Amino acid sequence: METVLETKNITMRFGGLVAVNNFSLKLGKTDLVGVIGPNGAGKTTIFNMITGIYEPTEGDVLLGNKSIVGDHVALITQQGICRTFQNIRLFKDLTVLDNIRLAGHFKMDYGVLSSIFRTKKYHAEEARLKEEAMELLKIFKLDTKAHHLAKNLPYGEQRRLEIARALATKPNVLLLDEPAAGMNPNETKELTELIRWVRDHFQIAILLIEHDMKLVMEVCERIYVVDHGVQIAHGDPSEIQNNPKVVEAYLGVQDE
Amino acid sequence: MDYVIHLALMSGIFIILAVSLNLINGICGQFSLGHAGFWAVGAYSAAAYSVYWAPPILDFLNLFIACGIGFITAAFAGILIGVPCLRLRGDYLAIATLGFGEIIRIVIMNMDVIGGPRGFTGIPKWSNLFWVYLWVVITILFVVNLMRGTHGRAIISIREDEIAADSMGIYTFKYKTLAFVLGAGFAGIAGALYAHATQFLHPNGFTFMWSVIILLMIILGGLGSITGSVIGAIILTILPELLRFFGETVSQWRMVIYSLLLIVLMLWRPGGIFGKHELKIPFFGKKENA
Repeated sequence: METVLETKNITMRFGGLVAVNNFSLKLGKTDLVGVIGPNGAGKTTIFNMITGIYEPTEGDVLLGNKSIVGDHVALITQQGICRTFQNIRLFKDLTVLDNIRLAGHFKMDYGVLSSIFRTKKYHAEEARLKEEAMELLKIFKLDTKAHHLAKNLPYGEQRRLEIARALATKPNVLLLDEPAAGMNPNETKELTELIRWVRDHFQIAILLIEHDMKLVMEVCERIYVVDHGVQIAHGDPSEIQNNPKVVEAYLGVQDE
Repeated sequence: MDYVIHLALMSGIFIILAVSLNLINGICGQFSLGHAGFWAVGAYSAAAYSVYWAPPILDFLNLFIACGIGFITAAFAGILIGVPCLRLRGDYLAIATLGFGEIIRIVIMNMDVIGGPRGFTGIPKWSNLFWVYLWVVITILFVVNLMRGTHGRAIISIREDEIAADSMGIYTFKYKTLAFVLGAGFAGIAGALYAHATQFLHPNGFTFMWSVIILLMIILGGLGSITGSVIGAIILTILPELLRFFGETVSQWRMVIYSLLLIVLMLWRPGGIFGKHELKIPFFGKKENA
């Protein structure tokens, strides 16, 4: 299958600390892949390198066939990678609709003066943006709350809104950083369905970091396991579950 | 009567200053303390125009050109200061802009051609209530319209969460600079109007205390609320004067009473009088089914 995102031996050093060491990953066009590992294994660092928040000390990140290392975070998003955050980062004091509209900002085609003088272009573009945003909100069952402030949504809906906002940038690759964090079993179950449905409906690749093993095993087709910044296993869920190295990383070595 | 008109003129000028600072501090969330500096740049450059270069045309045309010059020079100063400083965050940005504001004042102090420490005299009296309040309306309409477009939303998103804004494909630095430069530019217009209202400029009239007072106006009114900035500017311009009229004792203690009132107000409404809300005037378009 066609590869949309590839990391080639990316390494991240913070002074003497090697947070991620030689991590390689390939993501096909509609893959649903998970990255798991104990706390502090370097998973979020991997995300930060892919999305440009950190620049890898070594190695390369390819989107399609183009290296995106050194590109500005915003430019990487514009090229088709968008993410959510472990500790939800919505625009809290803005409405649900505005959150989605902001994700469409970089595609807006009118200048500052157009918005001051309310030109025809301004009205046309704003109307288009609003329509697209409402459509997306409807898909995520948030359209009835379009004018609520994001901070007033219940936790599960905030998570959903964050995913919707990321999708509003029309990415080829969606990165989800612990989407199930803080959710109860019911919400997690709904989320599992949602993630799979998003992949099928939008035909995009999804890479997710998650601690909830049930969700990862259920939804991911392939899994990378990292521990102390090093990849220790890679394979489909059943392979991972039976891999002694993975068990060791999570549960420690068994005493003889 | 002159006294009342002067107060009204000053209220208008401070409304422009407060609304423009609100664009930087309240709406974009960048803590700038150098507003008096931009105000001074606008005032002095506009005054220099009308004293040295103004052609003998209608006064209001000259005033209009002076305001344009005030805007351009102050906005240019905004670029010079904003581009290096806006990489800093929060308190650090505040200190850097404070420093730049003082540098501007010291530079003016040492420029003999615009009066230096003697002050700049001989500026024609061109500002009147009509032109000041026309600029007030232009400033407010400009900021309100900007906020309702995609560029304004991008500016707000920086206040809300800069990392998230970056991750949504918004060039945050570009929009921070835009807000900063526009804010500085409108402060320059306020400067031009001020110069032609008082007819005399002195570098000590633009100390860092004035940056703080303008900041007080927007905090008092509610950071991020344009209505709040307008109300805050009016209250803080009128209140210290109003206290003069309550007999000798009050008059002697007026700065103490003034400070106490500020403390009480902040305790009573920490988010400012208006918080983040706006007074909605139906004439200016419905706020889309909110």
